[in-house]
Amino acid sequence: MSSANPGLAYEDTPPLSAPLRFFLTAPLFGICAGLVLLFGDGVLDSRWTPGALAAVHLLAAGFMLQVMIGALQQILPVVAGVRVPAVLGVAGSSHALLTFGATGLAGGLAFGLPDAIIGGAMLLLGGIGIFLIAALAGLIRSPSVKIASHAPRDLRLALIGLAVTAVLGLALAFAIGRGASLPIPLAQAVDLHAAWGWLGWGGILLAATSWVVVPMFQITPSYPARFTRWWAPVVLAGLVSWSLARSTAADGAGIVLGTALMLAFGAFTILTLRLQSRTRRSTPDAPFHAFRAAMLAMLAGIAALGANLVDDGGQWSVLAGVLILHGGFAGAISAMLYKIVPFLAWLNLTQAGIRAPNMKKLLPDIPVKQQLKLHLAVLAALVLGVFVAAAARIAGLLMLIEFGWLLLNMLRVVRNWQRARET
Amino acid sequence: MTIVDARGLEPPEPFERAMEALAELQSGQQFTLLLDRMPHPLLRMLDRDGYRNEVSIRDDGAVEILIGRP
Repeated sequence: MSSANPGLAYEDTPPLSAPLRFFLTAPLFGICAGLVLLFGDGVLDSRWTPGALAAVHLLAAGFMLQVMIGALQQILPVVAGVRVPAVLGVAGSSHALLTFGATGLAGGLAFGLPDAIIGGAMLLLGGIGIFLIAALAGLIRSPSVKIASHAPRDLRLALIGLAVTAVLGLALAFAIGRGASLPIPLAQAVDLHAAWGWLGWGGILLAATSWVVVPMFQITPSYPARFTRWWAPVVLAGLVSWSLARSTAADGAGIVLGTALMLAFGAFTILTLRLQSRTRRSTPDAPFHAFRAAMLAMLAGIAALGANLVDDGGQWSVLAGVLILHGGFAGAISAMLYKIVPFLAWLNLTQAGIRAPNMKKLLPDIPVKQQLKLHLAVLAALVLGVFVAAAARIAGLLMLIEFGWLLLNMLRVVRNWQRARET
Repeated sequence: MTIVDARGLEPPEPFERAMEALAELQSGQQFTLLLDRMPHPLLRMLDRDGYRNEVSIRDDGAVEILIGRP
C-alpha cells in the first residue's frame, strides 16, 4: 500500500457506509415503481389511482428521499462545515425507518391498507425526525465558518420544507387511514403536501445543491450572487403565502402566487441551462447531458402545471408529475449520484492512505451513458403512457431496467473500491 | 512565492493539486492556493495538522488560501 498523502487525512467526512446504504437502497424503490406501472391497471389514468399514489411515493419518499438524506450526510460537512453527530447511528436508524416507512406507505396506498399507510407514514416521520434532530444538533455545534455561498442557508431552508412535507403527509395518512378530519378539504391538503414536497423540500434542496455542484462538477460559472441570495427565501415565503391562500379559499391570490412559484422554479431551471451552456468543459460527459435533460423536463413539467391551471383536465397533473418526478428529480439525482458515489469512494481510499484509482476507473463512462439514455427512453414512454394506457406498462418494464441498471452501476463502484482496498 | 491555481478543475483534482503542493512544502515555506469555493474539509485538516492558513475571498469570488508549514 502506498500513501497518497503522507501524514494527512480527512476526518470530516462520514464513513462511506453511512451514505452508501441510502444510495444502494434507493434504486430498489425505483424498481418497485416500475413493477407498479408494469402490473397495475390504468396507473396513469389520474393522479388519484392507487397505482399512481404508490408509484409517486416509491419515487419521492423511497428513491428521492433515500438519496437526498444520504447525500446530505456528505454535503452538510463539506459545504456547510456541519458534522452530523453519531453519524453511523443516525444513518443506521434513519435508513431502517425510511426504508420500512416508504415500503409500508407505498404498499398501503397500492393495496388500500389503512394501517400500512399510517404505520408507513409514522416510520417515515420517525426516520426524517432522527435525521433532522441530528442535523440540527450538528448545526448548533458547528463553528462559524467563512461561507462564500448561500448553499448552507438554503440547505437549512430545505430541511424546513422536508419537515412541513412530512407533517402534512402524516396528517393525510390519518385522514385517509382513520378518517381523521382536516381543517381543509382533502384535495387541497394533498396539493399542499405535494407542493411542499416538490418546491419546499425537493426544489430548494436541488437548488441549494446546484449552487455548489453545478459549478464544481460541470465547470460552469457560478450562479449570480444576487440570484442565490434571494431565490430560496422568496420561494419559501411564496410557498407559505400560497398555502395560506389555498387554505382560506382565496382562489385569486392562490392562482397568482402559484403562478409566481412556477415562474420562480422556471427561472432556476433556465438559469441552470444558461450556465451549463457556458461550461468550460471541452467534452461534456453523460451526467452533464443528463442534468441538462432533467432541467428541460422540469421546464416541461412546469408548463404542464400551467396548463392545469387553465384546463382542469386530469391528464395535465399526471403529465406534470411524470415530467417533474421522473424526468426532473430522478434524472438530476441519477446524474448527481454518478458524480457523488465515485467521488466518495475515491475520498474514502484517500482517507485510508491508499492511492486511489482515477475516477473513470472507479466508474467507466460507457455504462453510465447507456443507463442515462435509457432514463430518457423511460421518460418518453411515461409521457406516452399518460395518453395511451398500454405505453404505461412498457414504461414500467423499462423503468425496472433503468433503476436495476443504476443499482448495478453503483455496485460496480463499490466493487472497484473494494478491489483498490485489497491491492 | 508559488501559486497553485486549482480553479476550473473537476473534483477531486483541486484536492490532489493541494496535496501535491503540501507534500513538497518544506518547513518555513508557504504557497498560495486558489480555489473556486471554500474547502471546509481541507481547512480543518490544515488546522489539525498545524499548517498556518489565511483565507480570503477575492472580489471575483475566488477563494485564496495562504498555506505555510511552520
